[in-house]
Amino acid sequence: MKRAMRINSEDNTATALSDIEAGESISLVSKSGPVGEMTTKQAVPFGHKLAVTDIKKGDKIMKYGEVIGLATQPIGKGEYVHIHNVASALLPGAKEVK
Amino acid sequence: MEFLGYERPDGSAGIRNYVAVISSGRCANEMAANIADAVPGAVPVIHSHVCVRLKDDNEKALRVLSGIGSSPNVAAAIVVGIGCENPSPATIGSEIAKSKKPVKVLTIMESDGFQSFIDEGLATTRSMVAEASKLQRKPFPLSFLTLGVKCGGSSAVSGIAGNAATGMVFDRLVAEGGTAIFSETSEVIGADHLIAKRAVNEEVARKFRDMVARQEAMITATGEDIRGTQPTRGNIAEGLVTLEEKSLGAMAKSGTSPLQGVLEYGEKPPGKGLYFMDGSAMTSELISSEAAAGAHIHIYNVGGGVSSSFRCAPGWMGDIPFIPQISVVSRRSKPHDSQETDFFDIFADTVIEGTESVNEVADRFFNEVIAVASGKLTKREMRKGYREPIVLYSTGPIL
Repeated sequence: MKRAMRINSEDNTATALSDIEAGESISLVSKSGPVGEMTTKQAVPFGHKLAVTDIKKGDKIMKYGEVIGLATQPIGKGEYVHIHNVASALLPGAKEVK
Repeated sequence: MEFLGYERPDGSAGIRNYVAVISSGRCANEMAANIADAVPGAVPVIHSHVCVRLKDDNEKALRVLSGIGSSPNVAAAIVVGIGCENPSPATIGSEIAKSKKPVKVLTIMESDGFQSFIDEGLATTRSMVAEASKLQRKPFPLSFLTLGVKCGGSSAVSGIAGNAATGMVFDRLVAEGGTAIFSETSEVIGADHLIAKRAVNEEVARKFRDMVARQEAMITATGEDIRGTQPTRGNIAEGLVTLEEKSLGAMAKSGTSPLQGVLEYGEKPPGKGLYFMDGSAMTSELISSEAAAGAHIHIYNVGGGVSSSFRCAPGWMGDIPFIPQISVVSRRSKPHDSQETDFFDIFADTVIEGTESVNEVADRFFNEVIAVASGKLTKREMRKGYREPIVLYSTGPIL
């Protein structure tokens, strides 16, 4: 089974440890080992993130137990989390720069 | 827990036992290298500092060169120079002498000529090496140890593999009463508010924020806005979405301990625990300052990709032979490159492969730190050959 790392128990995202397809059953792992299973709704490339809970628009996006940005639209559990649905919490204009 | 180290006159404990032949300026590098290379047990400290620099950079150079000479991994030091350097060889020598170890200063200006200068350098080095060689290792608690860290060639998984394991190693050493130093001021921009909230008090938090703001002002003064250009396109393609995420991944290597204080480049920590030091993200520059601050071991975290296939260590990773460097890799090249085994000490890619948890990597890594502290040679220490001068951080113009 493919795996994704939820590095902190407060995180609502996990990082894919290999390329994951939509609709795959995956294992979630913490720093100490496997912590559960879930199903993806969208494809997530290696090193990229997926939501491990439903996230509302404006909610904090959490990784490392810290805020890495804000959701710019609702993100369902198992969906791909990237620049199309997250903006920096510090820099509202940062997305346009890319 | 304990390691086996060398007792130093100032009460510290070294994990290596070299005689350092320190060049007081770039002009004296060749003399320092010629003397040190002729005597097993001696190592040269050659570097990029020149006399045509301004006061602030001269002070940084003095702090780093005397700090390196004061390193507990150095049994005794000789400072060699022409005599006209700034900082002067005598000043560097008197700063090192504060660590109570044997120090000798030799300059061309005070010698009877080049040959007698070299002869005296060799004789002094040999007698210092002979004296140092009598010392035996003895047990010390881990609270005597200081670790420094730097990450480079970051990949999407650095933050959850190598840096995460390093953070746990830092936390364990701090829990044992030891000291850990992290740096890379430009890398904390975006995560500075999160590091600041780990400060032991408001004064430390303020000093930390001021240091980061100073760095950002220096960057902005060149006309570039780091906040607008980070994360880079490459980072985004790797999976990073915001500056916060990138900075947090880099800062994962600092662990979770409270931030005890903030240090200037090359400054010694006044106590134990976790410290942040001002410094650049250039590894060869940072290792000098962490060594000067008293770091016994330097941890170097490599993300993966091209950087894990890269073997040019002295130029990239810095070159201080008496500071063992533990090289960590978060993602191996595929197919596995057989030379990787001879290059890296800790493979953290097992976290990605699913054969080990971060905790298990950290256990193995912490044991390796203790083994290296007690004398086990790192992969880096088992290679010799090409050498690079140490690069010193400078912020002012060259005149």
